[in-house]
Amino acid sequence: MQSAFQPVAALRVNDLKKDYGKNQAVKGVTFSVKPGEVFGLLGPNGAGKTSIISIIVTLEPATSGCVEIFGVDVAQQSRLAKTKVGWVPQEIINHGYFTVEEILKFISGFHGRRKNKDRIDYLLHRLSLWNHRNKKVKELSGGMKRRLMIGKALVHEPKLLLLDEPTAGVDLELRLSLWKFVEDLKKEGVSILLTTHYLEEAENICDRVAVLHHGELKKIGPTQELVQSLTSRMIRLHFKREIRPLKHPYLTLQNQMMAEFSLPSATGIGELLNDLQLDLRMLNDIQIIEGNLEDAFRFILEQQK
Amino acid sequence: MKNSLRWGPFLTVLDREISRFIKVIVQTVITPLVNSVLYLLIFGVSLGSHIKIHDGISYLSFLIPGLIMMGCLNNAFQNASSSIITAKFGGDLEDFRVAPLTRSQIVWAMSLGGLIRGLTVGVMTYLAGLLFVFIAEGQILGIAHPFILILFLSIGGLTFAKLGISVAFWSKSFDQLSAVTGFILTPLIYLGGVFFTLESLHPWWQQLAKLNPLLYFINGVRYGLIGVSDVSWPMACGISLFTLVVFHLLALRSLRTGSFLRW
Repeated sequence: MQSAFQPVAALRVNDLKKDYGKNQAVKGVTFSVKPGEVFGLLGPNGAGKTSIISIIVTLEPATSGCVEIFGVDVAQQSRLAKTKVGWVPQEIINHGYFTVEEILKFISGFHGRRKNKDRIDYLLHRLSLWNHRNKKVKELSGGMKRRLMIGKALVHEPKLLLLDEPTAGVDLELRLSLWKFVEDLKKEGVSILLTTHYLEEAENICDRVAVLHHGELKKIGPTQELVQSLTSRMIRLHFKREIRPLKHPYLTLQNQMMAEFSLPSATGIGELLNDLQLDLRMLNDIQIIEGNLEDAFRFILEQQK
Repeated sequence: MKNSLRWGPFLTVLDREISRFIKVIVQTVITPLVNSVLYLLIFGVSLGSHIKIHDGISYLSFLIPGLIMMGCLNNAFQNASSSIITAKFGGDLEDFRVAPLTRSQIVWAMSLGGLIRGLTVGVMTYLAGLLFVFIAEGQILGIAHPFILILFLSIGGLTFAKLGISVAFWSKSFDQLSAVTGFILTPLIYLGGVFFTLESLHPWWQQLAKLNPLLYFINGVRYGLIGVSDVSWPMACGISLFTLVVFHLLALRSLRTGSFLRW
């Protein structure tokens, strides 16, 4: 039962299953995206991310389970649900006959907004496509095509945006501008479900992440909490002169002038130095390498082997 | 459901369908017109002067309604099917699926788009025929029953556009689409009485020809334009409407069971 004060989830996926013949692509996945949240759905190729997105946007039916967008069941009330979601697919759509502006007009009209010039003009400017609005898709560069896909997903002002590998094959400059755009959308209150293989970017932008493997949800949680709980921080102590062999449970490497420790992320350096009972004047430098989402991701996948 | 979702998506798909064929008008309207003109020139004028059909009606005048209907049916079919096939190839058919469009809206908008292209080709063929009759026979080819003419052209255009939708949604390759066009559609059109009267056939062949629904489409148009037909027009109308309903249901089913995914 939903509490009266609890906001409706932007996206609720409950016990979702998808079979392709004998192959179970999604095996009872449950998660939700809060309003205004950027949620990362991570996993290696074939983990089931795109299958889940295909079910959310009704490209494919679920074998069982339920998907709701702002409380609207996508299977029961698909038309209403579709007005609330925008989707940026992995692959570029070609639209052979039409120009950029015509494409946005048609997509807007498909959503019942036939007179939407202000929004279309805004998006053309915001996505730096204004000067290319009369070009056909085949005349656009890869980056422009990618921006057009985002424009198409946003033209009907959805409250939930699904980004399926939006930066695949995109250069650094465009990637940065896309993430800036995602941050702006978040500020505008748009909820975002994101899949990406760029884990560093996911770590920076996602409030929460879920890790999928072979169609099962392996971990879910706030990004930083997940990183801290699953990774260690590496501490390297560089000494001014040779020191005695150290004994410490987290010691991973020591040579004459350097010692390396792999500490749980929550453990402080002061605690380590205290345990070692070292004279701080012997220290030349302290190097700290924090664990990151990629380490956490790798840890989760290795646990599955 | 919001009112904007009732008409907006439907009108947009229709708008898209019409814009698409206008953008490639040489391929979609001019080329079929050239084909019709060649038929008129070769069969109507050159060979037609040696062929006797009905009393008081030249073969050229007999041929024109058949060519009008043939152009209308072919182009209505091709408009819907090529729109879907190219959208499958480019991936933009997925846009239809993820937008709040109903199957009924897609089917009606696409079939109306097909009908408009079919009627455009039909009207152009009529105008070309008018010119040929005037030059060859020195008279104006009037329209005997305008309402019946428009009725049969509309039923035929819509029916074939819906068939185009079904075939395109169910096709898994270009080969499958062209197999349907080459082995089923074209023979049915050519054997539907575009070039001959029913009574000119062997009795056994006449019975077989009556099973071809296109015979009724073509004869309905012929009755509408020149006032003669091999079958009674109310019966032709009944059979044509029944075919339209069947093909509409087929088109709806093809959207439910066919594929929106890109090739």
